[in-house]
Amino acid sequence: MSTSAPYVQDKDLVLTGSKRAFAALYGRNAKSVIERGLLATKTSNASIMVSGFVEPVLYLLSMGIGLGSIVGTVTGPGGTPMSYAAYIAPALLAVSAMNGAIYDSTMNVFFKMNFAKLYQNMLYTSLGPLDVAIGEIFLALLRGFMYATGFTIIMWFMGLIAHPAGLLMVPAAVLIAFGFASIGMGITSYLKKFQQLDWINFVMLPMFLFSATFYPLSVYPESVQWFIQAMPLWHGVELMRQLSIGYFTPSMLVHVGYFVVMILAGVTLTTNRLRALFLK
Amino acid sequence: MKLFNSTLKAHSPEVSATKAKKFGTLYVAEGHMLAMRRYIDVIIAYSVGNPLMYLFAMGVGLASLVDANSAGAFGVSYMTFIAPALLVSAAVMTAAGEFTYVIMDGFKWRRTFYGPLATAITPYQISQGLQLAVTGRILAQSIVYLLIVIAFGATASPWVWLSVLVATLAGTAFGFPLMAYAASLEEERGQFQLVNRFIVMPLFLFSGTFFPLTSLPWFLQWIGWISPIWHGTELSRVLSYGYDEPLWLSAVHVMYLVALTILGWHFSRRIFARRLEG
Repeated sequence: MSTSAPYVQDKDLVLTGSKRAFAALYGRNAKSVIERGLLATKTSNASIMVSGFVEPVLYLLSMGIGLGSIVGTVTGPGGTPMSYAAYIAPALLAVSAMNGAIYDSTMNVFFKMNFAKLYQNMLYTSLGPLDVAIGEIFLALLRGFMYATGFTIIMWFMGLIAHPAGLLMVPAAVLIAFGFASIGMGITSYLKKFQQLDWINFVMLPMFLFSATFYPLSVYPESVQWFIQAMPLWHGVELMRQLSIGYFTPSMLVHVGYFVVMILAGVTLTTNRLRALFLK
Repeated sequence: MKLFNSTLKAHSPEVSATKAKKFGTLYVAEGHMLAMRRYIDVIIAYSVGNPLMYLFAMGVGLASLVDANSAGAFGVSYMTFIAPALLVSAAVMTAAGEFTYVIMDGFKWRRTFYGPLATAITPYQISQGLQLAVTGRILAQSIVYLLIVIAFGATASPWVWLSVLVATLAGTAFGFPLMAYAASLEEERGQFQLVNRFIVMPLFLFSGTFFPLTSLPWFLQWIGWISPIWHGTELSRVLSYGYDEPLWLSAVHVMYLVALTILGWHFSRRIFARRLEG
């Protein structure tokens, strides 16, 4: 009997942790989470995908044309006179970026987390919480990018973009969506019952109504103005409106900076929460 | 055996059955109202928060822009103009919420419609009981809404109280046919979300809620004519500030809303019977 070495040796059976930084958090494979998401999209209801794009268009037709015929011309950023439709269209784009991102990162993620147990299964593999967070957020942003492109094309057809800088509204919409998606997913991880999702609407609705979407902030008393300016959507609306007419001021950096900070905070929160929930 | 000597004696089966036949609709309605208590916090927040937010945002905020740019376009202040429309829209939206997932829940998810079926209660009564309970919720919510509208000083007419009934009628006119549709669905594949996005939202936005229907291009005006929100809103405007409208047109609004309600009531009864007895 020959005594050749066994194929599996003792040292092969010893598990050692990876020496790579953040190896426990990130498996360098967010790609597969994204791939799974895209595959799942194929079998889902296409008309629901379309519906997210339709809503801001309906608002634009209703308020922009119907109400616009009564309101007439309003004062935009830097005192620029603009039609009412041109005034609300960029705001509606910011709102739709927020709504899409929040929908994807709350309702959608909540069901995957609590009913489909999708993330739990993913984390049983070599995927880490950061892979899941990056993958899900990327999917939300891809959708946001498509909606924003479509809406911007409609604005252009309706003659509502006064300056080439208006094209920058598309990346701006992605930035806004990124901010809301990263925070939204972190918040969703705290929710236990699906009735609690209703409370998210109670935060979203006032933001939508009060963030200078349909009329300027100047109608409010100063204290209310401060409060609204602390909310993320207002920064999104302002950023979009300024871009639509190519009105660049340093204040734009503040708006962009707000979302950069929101993204960093959101991704950190989400990753920590996923780790706390699943990697006990 | 203390348990069986309890003073809470049940009726004999014959008496229970007779009572169920007589009051079945009320029994079912009671059951649904008790179930609503589970999310009473959301109901209250919605009933109070929604009017407050919309009246501030549109009636105060947007109004300052509208009244400054087009004083007198509506004959009344912008707040007075939109308050009746918001009242009616809120009723219809509540109906849209209550007559969709709840139906799927009753037939498929938790199968709550099958419980009463084991008693003498009929499918007709199961259908009507739910309609009664939700109508009650819409009525109560509309009363709260109107009180808030009155607090905002957005109404001047003593007839305004009737607009609570108009709003509730608009809710049933939209809700009962929707219920019949929801009851006909075997599976939920996002249809309710589509109803919301492609029916409820357009009806809300193109029903003369924020501006007279005639401000829209002609090819969008038909949405208002078929919309329970528009018919309810026009009636409600007549009742809350003496909006000028010929009497025959008001009668048409009422008849349209009543007809939709009856059709919805009839078809949901039939579909319930078919599914529960089938």
